[in-house]
Amino acid sequence: MDWNALKLSLLLAAATLGVLLPLGVWLGRLLAWRRFPGKVLVEAALALPLVLPPTVLGFYLLVAMGGDSQLGQWYQALAGRQLVFSFDGLLIASLIFNLPFAIQPMQRAFEAIPIEVREAARCCGMSAWRRLWRIELALAWPGILSAAVLTFAHTLGEFGVVLMVGGSIPGETRTLAISIYDRVQAFDTAGAATMSAALLAISLAAIAISYLALNRVLRHARHD
Amino acid sequence: MGMKPVQARGPVVAAAADLQFALPELAAAFQQETGHEVRLAFGSSGNFARQIEQGAPFELFLSADQALVERLARAELTVDDGQLYGEGRLALFVAASSGIAVDSDLSGLAAAVKAGQVRRFAIPNPAHAPYGQRAEELLRAKGLWEALEPRLVLGENAAQAAQFALSGSVDAGISAWSLARAPGLTPEAKVVLLPADDHAPLRQRMVLLKSAGPVARRFHDWLLGSESRAVLARYGFDLPAQP
Amino acid sequence: MHAMTEHEAGLRVSLHQAAPIPLAVELTCGPGEVLALVGPSGSGKSTVLRCIAGLHTPAEGRITCNGETWLDTRARHAKPTAARRIGMVFQNYALFPHLSALDNVREALPDRCASDARERATRLLAKVNLQGLEHRRSHQLSGGQQQRVAVARALAREPRVLLLDEPFSAVDRATREKLYGELAELRRELAMPVILVTHDLEEAVMLADRMTLLSQGSSLQTGPPLTLMREPDSLDVARLVGLRNLLEVQVEAHEADYTRLRWGALALRVKRQADAPTGAVTTACLPAEGVLLLAARAEREADETHLPDGFDNPVSGIVRRYLSLGDRVRMTLEVPDAAGALLSMTLPRHLADRLSPTEGSAIALRLRGAVIHLIPTTRKG
Repeated sequence: MDWNALKLSLLLAAATLGVLLPLGVWLGRLLAWRRFPGKVLVEAALALPLVLPPTVLGFYLLVAMGGDSQLGQWYQALAGRQLVFSFDGLLIASLIFNLPFAIQPMQRAFEAIPIEVREAARCCGMSAWRRLWRIELALAWPGILSAAVLTFAHTLGEFGVVLMVGGSIPGETRTLAISIYDRVQAFDTAGAATMSAALLAISLAAIAISYLALNRVLRHARHD
Repeated sequence: MGMKPVQARGPVVAAAADLQFALPELAAAFQQETGHEVRLAFGSSGNFARQIEQGAPFELFLSADQALVERLARAELTVDDGQLYGEGRLALFVAASSGIAVDSDLSGLAAAVKAGQVRRFAIPNPAHAPYGQRAEELLRAKGLWEALEPRLVLGENAAQAAQFALSGSVDAGISAWSLARAPGLTPEAKVVLLPADDHAPLRQRMVLLKSAGPVARRFHDWLLGSESRAVLARYGFDLPAQP
Repeated sequence: MHAMTEHEAGLRVSLHQAAPIPLAVELTCGPGEVLALVGPSGSGKSTVLRCIAGLHTPAEGRITCNGETWLDTRARHAKPTAARRIGMVFQNYALFPHLSALDNVREALPDRCASDARERATRLLAKVNLQGLEHRRSHQLSGGQQQRVAVARALAREPRVLLLDEPFSAVDRATREKLYGELAELRRELAMPVILVTHDLEEAVMLADRMTLLSQGSSLQTGPPLTLMREPDSLDVARLVGLRNLLEVQVEAHEADYTRLRWGALALRVKRQADAPTGAVTTACLPAEGVLLLAARAEREADETHLPDGFDNPVSGIVRRYLSLGDRVRMTLEVPDAAGALLSMTLPRHLADRLSPTEGSAIALRLRGAVIHLIPTTRKG
């Protein structure tokens, strides 16, 4: 078991969650309840990472973050090293390829709240924060949990984009998934097997939690 | 001595995949002696050269082909022109389960090809792996390229190609001889060293990159020392003259 | 701050917009008064309610309540919903599904953290006959019970205005009858204006003091429900309240205690309506109850509905359609003396059976002039 790689994977997943959870709640609410011109395009763009091959995503990320790009040069000036092949570069990539996993379940959960319930909350004199906490999040939490769990698991498992944007720098960008690839090439079947089993267990647990939460939402909806 | 490393993380060394087994042993010995840790990354030399051009944070690069080091030096990404650390050799790998006869002039392979026994053949990707380029040259020289080209499975690097051949996923393959010397390889695998006459030499050159710190430099120098040379020789590398 | 004068108390609403839903509404509702907003679907009644609640802002409008300005589009002022202190009962109740009935009510209390908040919420639920059910969630309550929780929650707010958006439409008939009774009882204690949106005229008649009829966003007429139903201002209102008997008449003369109209070849005596100019051609309306059988003389004396007002207008009608509706029968009759105009009447079953009318047979009718109303000419069509 490559503990460094595991730590890196967990750190990447946690950092991704830290950014995408609040962002997802904000965007999920916005897309659930507001209409604006071009909304369909925005939703399609956010869903792209679901269908794009990781190599396409990786390619465009390299173009956007590489040494010749504006972003890359700005980062170089700031941090004294390249954005690609760094953990920060991985984090940016992770935020992008996880967008639909974070936003879509949350958007669905917010959409499931009947507009009348939110209006009733306003009529009850609840402040915006109290409405958010007591009504909206209280009703949408299964979707938020599902989003969190899926994002976490997906980050742990991402390979193609991580390899292209991060390379396989031990301790910096060699995540667990990359490490497995590395171990196979090194003829270390035992090591690869251990890490694969670990990832499998985590992914299974994630899906199970996500489905349990989904059932909860459906049960609520059926009773309305 | 076995001192614990002082700094949090050692320098990252990019190494050609044929050093997959040799280099960890060397790094361990280095740590044992100096207390310094180095982090190793293996892959195809061409890939690494590209990454270095894009700014990857490697401090030392051990290439399987000196042409790549020269390219980096011309781009002023290196400290100097680098040093030759060994010369690599090709080997034919055949899975134990395969019935192909192994011999160093590839006549057994040629017979198998003629008899249609070779459905899939692995080499490292010639596009960016030096061992792959040499494998292609050798196969062309032996007149086997045309027959084998449609049956090729390209490994990302020398190690992956060898892994394909030894796992039985392909019938046979050509990759780095140094990988065959690895301990723990299944004893029933058949491997034979191939002569260097029919392909350009694999002059393996290493170079310090501009960002190299003191530990990387020390490791670079240590790799040219006698202890390191002995290990490399054990793994089948032909050694250059002692500097 | 000057003392509130009488005409400032209560709710005053003025709303105008062209899109997305057209509105042209003026209404007022005094403290303790129940105003019904009635109209067909799409007439904008829910939109009006939502404007009052602050859930929708019209293009142009002004809303004041007890002297406080809630909305003034010209001054770009719109008080947020939470600040208006309104209580609203939604059509599907909109209870918070994850909270108990008690917590639903508690959320609406102006001071929900007070130590006695629980007791106050419990008392409110008891007031709507839900004692013992405080800890149930909405999916564990029947439709009628949910409605009561919604009412309790609206009242918990100590609202300045109570808004009810078709609160009875989602329950079955038996429950609805029960809830009518409960609301009628409750409203005696309510001191604030109450606006009830419904598409059911009977509900409006039963529960409301005044009624505003809406059609395509415009308020057509406001007044006590029975007035709208008996004395509509216009043909649109007449049709919307379900008056089927619309007679093309001409005002002949105004006598001392009656008005004489000409309907085709017939002369009708109706209650005196002197504001209709003599000679004017207009439409008169007559409810279905105003068309009765002309009984034999002996029966006439015993018949209660035969009032000695001399306004019975005998008319002969030919049966054209006969519709059996359970215990009542609806007939459409053609009046040859009025150029073939059609009349609609309803009869209890037993009377219809006694008559056993057939298509084309003639029946002797009387039209009660006391309930014949002249629709003002100016608002015709």
